[in-house]
Amino acid sequence: MTRERRRTRKDNNTDTGNGNLYLLTGLIIGLLLGLVISWVIAPIKFVDTAPNSLRSSLKDEYRLLIATAYHSNDNLPRALARLELLGDPSPILALTTQAQVLLKSGDINGKAFYLAFLIDAIKNASVSQSGTTSSLIELPTDNNTGTIDGAFTKTPLLDSTITPFSHLSDTPSATQIPKIILKSQQNICDSPEEALLLMIDVFDASNQPIPGVEIIISWANGEEHIFTGLQPENGVGYADYLMSPKINYGIRFVSGGVSIANLAAPDCPNSQGATRMGGLKLVFQQP
Amino acid sequence: MVYGWVLHPGANRDTSLVSLRYDYRTDFVLMVAETYSSEGNTAQAVRQIAQLGPESPVNYVIQALAYAAQMRYSSVDLILIQNLSNALQTWSPMPEGFVP
Repeated sequence: MTRERRRTRKDNNTDTGNGNLYLLTGLIIGLLLGLVISWVIAPIKFVDTAPNSLRSSLKDEYRLLIATAYHSNDNLPRALARLELLGDPSPILALTTQAQVLLKSGDINGKAFYLAFLIDAIKNASVSQSGTTSSLIELPTDNNTGTIDGAFTKTPLLDSTITPFSHLSDTPSATQIPKIILKSQQNICDSPEEALLLMIDVFDASNQPIPGVEIIISWANGEEHIFTGLQPENGVGYADYLMSPKINYGIRFVSGGVSIANLAAPDCPNSQGATRMGGLKLVFQQP
Repeated sequence: MVYGWVLHPGANRDTSLVSLRYDYRTDFVLMVAETYSSEGNTAQAVRQIAQLGPESPVNYVIQALAYAAQMRYSSVDLILIQNLSNALQTWSPMPEGFVP
């Protein structure tokens, strides 16, 4: 009698253990099945998305289209509203980076020109409104809503969803960007890793670095455009260019200002009396 | 499934132009039309509009024109889209190997 009771208890324990195992297995299978269904068989499909959800390469294409459309219609508020839709933290930096990448890859279609054209227009508009380029660093990202003067005035859906650039006028004034002047020039001889490097820093009148400044480096039979802000670790107003030895270079700013000629990597004497090529550091500032 | 669809919907977050909302699609077409008005490059416009989906590009332009008219876009914008629509309807790609 007692032995029979023990056996019954043991059978019950085994049943409970099996039951727990079945439950766990079922749970795992259910989870896996759920993931397979939601990720593979019927993955979520995004509809009615905004441009800020586009993948990076399409954002670049969208941005370029904004620039070419702006070149055609000269409607800056509309271009700004469109840029805002892309959700870039700094539209001007995104434009600058894209232009720089295009230029580095050869830009056989000349698309960087349109990006630079738009960058200049934004900078001109900002400067004409605030008197300084510092507002370029952070385009407005607040959540105020309203209409943009001159932009999408007949498209209510966009009017109600885009962020206004109320500080920008419909027709940007022709006010000149404050001219950039050379503040200092220094030969760099004590840092071998900066040999042949032409380092440029650009600041506004309040001594704040300015990103997105387009600088033309020219030499006897060519030129190259560089932009400040592409190496934020060196400061957003910084740009550099690797010079060739014994070549004279000129520097000028697309937005106007000082133009410098006959720049070359300096000869730096070392302790053995020989010379090696050094670097050059130029600091520019708006007066 | 809640995890897969809501909490972590995988790599589908980076969307394409196909899924753009209707007003954004219309604005995209308008941008192409604005660019086309100054550059006159029909092949480029076709390539850009074709990214909106598998249909014929001219269909997307016609849809955009209808939406723009409904939303009372300016007449200038409507004309630009109309011109693009006309260009796409009469455009035919040059056959491969064609030498004028």
